[in-house]
Amino acid sequence: MKRLVALVPLAWLGLFFLIPFVVLTKISLSEPAIAQPPYLPVVDWADGILTVALNLGNYIFLTEDPLYLVSYFSSVKIAAISTLFALLLGYPMAYAIARAPERRRGLLLMLVILPFWTSFLLRVYAWIGLLKANGPVNNFLLSIGVIDQPLVMLQTDFAVYLGIVYTYLPFMILPLYATLSKLDVDLLDAAADLGARPATTFLTVTLPLSLPGIVAGSMLVFIPAVGEYVIPALLGGPGTLMIGSVLWNEFFLNRDWPVAAAVAIVMVLVLALPIAILRRVQAAQEDRA
Amino acid sequence: MSDPFIRIDGVTRTYGEVYAVDDVSLDIRQGELFCLLGGSGCGKSTLLRMLAGFDRPTAGRIVIDGRDMTDVPPHARDVNMMFQSYALFPHMSVERNIAYGLHRAGMPKAQIATRVTEMLGLVQLDKLARRKPDQLSGGQRQRVALARALARRPKLLLLDEPLGALDRKLREETQLELKKIQTTLGITFIVVTHDQEEAMTLGDRLGVMNAGRIVQIGAPHEVYEFPQSRFVADFIGTVNLFEGTIAEDRDTDAVIASPEAGIDIRIPHAVTGTKGQDVAVALRPEKIVIARALPEPYDNTLAGEVRDIVYNGNLSVFHVLLASGKRVRVSRTNRLRAETEDISVGDRVELGFTGRSAVVLPS
Repeated sequence: MKRLVALVPLAWLGLFFLIPFVVLTKISLSEPAIAQPPYLPVVDWADGILTVALNLGNYIFLTEDPLYLVSYFSSVKIAAISTLFALLLGYPMAYAIARAPERRRGLLLMLVILPFWTSFLLRVYAWIGLLKANGPVNNFLLSIGVIDQPLVMLQTDFAVYLGIVYTYLPFMILPLYATLSKLDVDLLDAAADLGARPATTFLTVTLPLSLPGIVAGSMLVFIPAVGEYVIPALLGGPGTLMIGSVLWNEFFLNRDWPVAAAVAIVMVLVLALPIAILRRVQAAQEDRA
Repeated sequence: MSDPFIRIDGVTRTYGEVYAVDDVSLDIRQGELFCLLGGSGCGKSTLLRMLAGFDRPTAGRIVIDGRDMTDVPPHARDVNMMFQSYALFPHMSVERNIAYGLHRAGMPKAQIATRVTEMLGLVQLDKLARRKPDQLSGGQRQRVALARALARRPKLLLLDEPLGALDRKLREETQLELKKIQTTLGITFIVVTHDQEEAMTLGDRLGVMNAGRIVQIGAPHEVYEFPQSRFVADFIGTVNLFEGTIAEDRDTDAVIASPEAGIDIRIPHAVTGTKGQDVAVALRPEKIVIARALPEPYDNTLAGEVRDIVYNGNLSVFHVLLASGKRVRVSRTNRLRAETEDISVGDRVELGFTGRSAVVLPS
C-alpha cells in the first residue's frame, strides 16, 4: 500500500517531467530542418546501419550569440531582485499574521490567497490599467502635486518587478508563515531574559529559526520568476530581456526547435544547480550539528 | 531591620475584569529559596512573569535589591528565568546556549569560555557541550536550561515548574542537586510549582497562593502542621475536617462539639474564637492511630467501620466510615507485610488521636 502511494507522485513526475525532459534533450541535440516536425531525427536506422547524430551545435550557438547569455543573466537578476523584494515585503506580513490572535489568522491567510480566485492573466492586465499614463496611479500623483507630468511606468523594468513581486508574494508569505507560526514565543522571552534587545532577539533567534521558511519561499518565487514569460511580455518594454520570451521567439517565430530546446535545457540547469548546491550546504550543516 | 532583598509591594495584575494577581505583598531575603505554591490559574506564574519583566503590574511595585523594577524591561534586569518548557535555542549547541546571555552582556571571549566551562561542570554536562538540544534527554535539557539561566550570575533566579517535565526518580535527585547549587552560589531562587511535595523539599519558605492572593507564608513544616485556613489544610497534603462548634474554651484547654465526629473533641490548649462559634477541626491521616482495640487510651477516640484499604506500598490508607456517615482517612506505615495485616475491610475499628495534633480552623 505504501509503495502504491509513492507510485502516484513518481508516475506523475515520470509522465510530466522526465519524459518531456528526455524528449526535449533529444530535440536539443538534433539538427533543424524544414520539415514536419522541424528537426532531423537523432537516431536513424536505415539499411541495417544505426546512425546516432548528436548535434552539439545548438549549445555552442548559445555561447556564441551574446543575446542568450545576456538574457539568462538578466532573467536571474530580475528574479533575484524580485525575490529579495518579495522577502522584504512578505516577511513582516507573515510575521504579523503569525503573531495575530488565533481567531483572526484564518481570515488574514485567506486575504493572502484571495487573489488566486481571479485569473492570473486578468490581474496582470489590471496592472496595465493602473500603471498607464492616464491611469489611477498617475492621476492620483498628479492631483496631489507630487509630479507635474505622468510617470512612464508601463513597459519598464519597474513594472516587471512590480508584477512579479505582486504575483508571487503569496508563495513567499505562506512558507514563512508556516515556520514563524511554529516559533515558540518562550524562545523570544528567553532571549530577552538573557539580555537581548528586541533587534538582537530578531537577529539571533527569530531570523535563524525562520531560515527554512525563507529558503522555501525564496525558491518558490525565484524559480518561476526566472522562466516568467507573461509578466515581462505584458508589462515589460523592448529593453526587458528575459529568457522566457527568448524561448518563445525561438520556438514560435524562428521555428528553430533544437535551439529553443537547448535554451530550455540550459535554463533547467541554471535553476537546478543552485538548488543542488543549497541542498548540499544544508545537509552539511545538519551533519555538523 | 535592613530592607528585604526583594520586596513585592501590593502588586496587582488584572486582565480585563479578571484579577490574576490580587494585591500581593511579599518580602524575600537574599539567598533564600522561596517556593510559590498553588493550583493552575492561581496567579503564581503571572507573578513570576512580572518579576522577570514580561508582564507589568497593574498596581503596586516590585523592588529588587533596592531598585524599583516597574519600568525596567526584561533584558535590562539582573534577573534570569528558567522556563518550564526550558526554551533552549534549538539552533544552538549546549555551549552556545549557555554563552548566549554572556555575549549579550558584552563579556570578553576568553572569559565567556571560562564561564561556560565552569557552568558545564556545575551541571555535569562537560561531555555534551557540542550537542544540540534535540540530542539531549529531558534531564539533560533541564540542566542546560539551569546552566544558561545561572551563567550571568543573576541576583535572582526564577524557576517555573523546574522539575515538572522529569520523571519521579530523576525529580528527587534533581531536587537535592538544585538545592545544593543554590546554597553553593548563594543566589536567591524563586520557584513556582503546583507540586506540594516539590515545594516542601525545595523551599526554605513557601507562599501558598489561591485566586491571585497569597493565603499563607511560612516554612514547609509550619504550613503543613499549622495551616491557617481550610484551603491551605486541604491543598497541602490530605486532611480530615470535622465540622463543629466551640463548646468550651478555657485558658488551658477547649472542647469542640462535633456531631460529625460523634464526640466532643478535646483540644489541650486555648483556641481562637468564642463559645458557640462554628469551627472545623483539621486532622492529618497520619496523626490518627487505627486498631481493632486501641492498646492505650487517647484524648479522643472514634469508632467506625473500615470501608476501603488503599495499599501504597510503604503505607496503607484506611477509609473508615463513622456512625455520622463521615468518612475518615487514616494512614499507617506498613511495618509488617500487607498479608499479615490485622485489619481488613468490614472490620469495626477504633481511631485514636491527641488533640495536640489537630488544628482548629475558622469555619
